[in-house]
Amino acid sequence: MSIAPVEEEVVSSDSVVEPDVPWITLVWNDPVNLMSYVTYVFQSYFGYDRAKAEKLMMDVHTKGRAVVSHGPREKMEIDTEALQGYGLWATFQKDD
Amino acid sequence: MARAFARKGKGKDVRYAAKLDAVERAVVAGLMEQVHDLVAPEPEPEPAHASDVHGDDDFAAIVSGLGGLGMGVSLSAEDQLPDDRPVPADARSFGDRDPALERLLPAGNRVDDQLSAEFRRLTEHGLRQRKARHLESAMAALRAPGSGVELDERTAIDMVVALTDVRLVLGERLGLREDADVDRLEAELDEMDDDDPRLHAMSVYDFLTWLQETLATAMLPGDHPSA
Repeated sequence: MSIAPVEEEVVSSDSVVEPDVPWITLVWNDPVNLMSYVTYVFQSYFGYDRAKAEKLMMDVHTKGRAVVSHGPREKMEIDTEALQGYGLWATFQKDD
Repeated sequence: MARAFARKGKGKDVRYAAKLDAVERAVVAGLMEQVHDLVAPEPEPEPAHASDVHGDDDFAAIVSGLGGLGMGVSLSAEDQLPDDRPVPADARSFGDRDPALERLLPAGNRVDDQLSAEFRRLTEHGLRQRKARHLESAMAALRAPGSGVELDERTAIDMVVALTDVRLVLGERLGLREDADVDRLEAELDEMDDDDPRLHAMSVYDFLTWLQETLATAMLPGDHPSA
């Protein structure tokens, strides 16, 4: 899988990192984004295969949101920024 | 009559081709121009305007004949009907900004306003620049001479993202914030007078949806019999 050749401006936060606290990136349902496009974004940005991308897309569509990535906060902020760049309704938060 | 985007070739030589007439291309590019005005970090330098039609006089004539960008569909906040519906609290947490801009640059964290503000401070300028670049590239492709639109992989990404941002803004202007709004609007459309501007805006929205659907489907990785 290739990563979409979109320049990602990596922005790192300068606040204190809380060790070992998992964070997540969420994508929320909206009535505008197309199922095909959301699948395309999950495949090309994350490199997920078609089956995984479609499952996440269907979760967004039917459950209202899906967790699309896990990891340290800085990485989740980068994912959120990239997905917002694609026009998806992405947010990050601590995984409670 | 427009013909959908289709994939041609593969690998580095892949192209995505569609056939759109001059009016269709002008409408889409005009809407992109309006979204660019909304989202770009700084105003465009003034002198660019009059000479910015890429030397294509036919195209310029058609655009001016349409009476402005977007063929009567205005995305400007000032031109919208008042919308008294409450703004969902979880969705838009930053005050009085134009909701369409809020949709393009949403809060990054729905739980923690401070983190959300910090995320916005760090990312907003870059996101605005990136969206503006996608829109500029897509407009240039639509305004290139010729009867069709042919995109390489890079430009196809610009186009599919730019179409998304235009649909997000137009969707917000049409009041589409959750799935139920689509059914509500369609029911309202059946009752509208023929000259209601929302009817025209919705037909443009449907055209953009169709165009984006065909491009996104053609771009899906790993779905192409080697031809």
